[in-house]
Amino acid sequence: MNDMRLLERAVDTQVNKITARKVQVYYGQNHALKDVDVDILDKTVTAFIGPSGCGKSTFLRCLNRMNDTIAVCRVEGRIDLEGEDIYDPRVDPVQLRAKVGMVFQKPNPFPKSIYDNVAYGPKIHGLARKKADLDEIVESSLRKAALWNEVKDRLDAPGTGLSGGQQQRLCIARAIATSPEVLLMDEPCSALDPIATAQVEELIDELRSQFSVVIVTHSMQQAARVSQRTAFFHLGSLVEYGETGQIFTNPKDPRTESYITGRIG
Amino acid sequence: MTDATANQMPASGPAARSKHGSILVQAPSMRARNRAEARFKAYGLAAIVLALTMLAIMLTTILSDGLSAFRQASLTFPVTLDAATLDKSGNRDVAEMSKATTVTYGKVMAQSFVAHLVAQGISTEGVSEKELAAMLSKDAPAALRNDVLANPDLLGQTIEVTVLANGRIDGYLKGRVTMESAQKDSNISPEQLVLSDALRKAGILTSGFNWGFLKNPDASDQRPEAAGLGVAMIGSAYMMVLVLIITLPIGVAASVYLEEFAPKNKWTDLIEVNISNLAAVPSIVFGILGLAVFINFAGFPQSSSLVGAFVLSLMTLPTIIIATRASLKAVPPSIRDAALGVGASKMQTVAHHVLPLAAPGILTGTILGLARALGETAPLLLIGMVAFVDNYPSAPAEGVLDPATALPVQIYTWVQRSDPAFVERSNGAIIVLLLFLMVMNVTAILLRRRFERRW
Repeated sequence: MNDMRLLERAVDTQVNKITARKVQVYYGQNHALKDVDVDILDKTVTAFIGPSGCGKSTFLRCLNRMNDTIAVCRVEGRIDLEGEDIYDPRVDPVQLRAKVGMVFQKPNPFPKSIYDNVAYGPKIHGLARKKADLDEIVESSLRKAALWNEVKDRLDAPGTGLSGGQQQRLCIARAIATSPEVLLMDEPCSALDPIATAQVEELIDELRSQFSVVIVTHSMQQAARVSQRTAFFHLGSLVEYGETGQIFTNPKDPRTESYITGRIG
Repeated sequence: MTDATANQMPASGPAARSKHGSILVQAPSMRARNRAEARFKAYGLAAIVLALTMLAIMLTTILSDGLSAFRQASLTFPVTLDAATLDKSGNRDVAEMSKATTVTYGKVMAQSFVAHLVAQGISTEGVSEKELAAMLSKDAPAALRNDVLANPDLLGQTIEVTVLANGRIDGYLKGRVTMESAQKDSNISPEQLVLSDALRKAGILTSGFNWGFLKNPDASDQRPEAAGLGVAMIGSAYMMVLVLIITLPIGVAASVYLEEFAPKNKWTDLIEVNISNLAAVPSIVFGILGLAVFINFAGFPQSSSLVGAFVLSLMTLPTIIIATRASLKAVPPSIRDAALGVGASKMQTVAHHVLPLAAPGILTGTILGLARALGETAPLLLIGMVAFVDNYPSAPAEGVLDPATALPVQIYTWVQRSDPAFVERSNGAIIVLLLFLMVMNVTAILLRRRFERRW
């Protein structure tokens, strides 16, 4: 990993968006995530890397409480979004998810029109009073997701009829249409070809100016390309967390080194 | 040069071949496997051929026995409505006029019939006047009486009437009654049959499409020619609508709760097992339950379509719940994740995304459940829908409390009767029932095609 750009990868801000302390996740008897402490910065792309089953997706899903939908899953510890505990009993996960959007591994557009896919979030959150407002949100979201030029003439076409890469960008547009503060991406490129992946990565870099982006990825190259900070998970523990350049060029933990040089994982 | 070497096969003798031997020769084990496969295919084909043969036999029997029910013989002749006999008071008061019974009308009708035959010069040799009158349906005088009571001005006039012929005459036209069978039959004589041939020639006895079969209520044992499916079809239609209204909301609500909201624990497991078991409970058990609960305890009127619908709903609910849950399960979880991910609540996720995607499956399940309920007989027998009902139930909503019967129950009642004309009618009723079922199944298929979405 001698990519020189890595060393220039400076973090723009030092404002903490999400603070996680002593996070434990259990699936029934299985202790899936142990003592995770992470500070996720605002306007930064944070990558979670690690071998399969290391808990990186699990931790990602804790950040917008998607794990609530799994009956056997239990989360302990404290995760703060801007200083507020997201596991506080007063928190409605639905409201939280409007602030912390999510893009999934497999592109999963609703079987509705492209327009309706993007407009759905703003509609249910009441972000647009008039049709014109909604049109504007849809257009700006699709523009941010670099999809507008490809679909502007066929907004009524079904979202499921797009190509894989377009579908994933549509899902990103859908996620940012509710103007979240944090965007979680769970292996967003694993079902895409290299060209679509490059487009999505470019997009992620642009999104950094407005959101805090957290991305889970299996590809270390991808983490190196898009992120400013990287967290390495192994066997349910957070092994190392720091500047991406430092993780890839000068890892402190021997396990991190083994992983990025391809000896484990 | 290079081409030539490329096309040349490298030398390979038996020694170069692997231990599996030549692929050009079938190994013995391979032959056995192929034979087993061919046998397996043959079993499947045989099963399908057998099933199709059975279906063909069933349809041929039903159609050959039942299609004739859709034609009906009738007699057309002028009737002189003698005012002196039919309205003794002479003041055209309907209450007074109704004292003249169908027997009186029967006599008037028979007299006119005989007079018409004489006028037409048709020989009635060997047929007594009583036998002549018997060639008209017993239902005919009642129909005439109703016409006259509805319109007293007809009195004194001579009107052309078309009345049903006796069931045996009808059967003769359809080939069911023959000269040989008439000799042994106390209800019809060969002379009457000879006469009916003459009547046909004169155009008095005609055969046409049997609207009465579809419109009329049931009729008594002595007049199969007048019996129809009217009440049964209304009863079945009322019940289907009610069953749909009752089961669809309850079934969908129960399935959505169980599938999307309920915690997965031993209680929901227990409920699930019970629902599956209820789907397998013999339908007559639901009939007993309906009798005990809806009629004896809750006091709903017996024989009514409402109670019938309740009982059929109990029977249909498990089917609908199972079908609905299956189609909810078939909605990919990624859609739920997507909706939850953009901040939809659980209810919004279900209402906006999961239910619309599951709708074709739910509708198909519901229609198939209804189709099963439409053909159900046993539970309806127990709640009194087997009763002889010759009054149409009134229009909804009170009509659902009126006594009614159902198509399959009507079939069951008719096959029990001795007159062969009823066997023909029950086969005709089976055709009607099958048509209803076919329409419902086709609707189910069309709905599924129409609303199916791919993702």
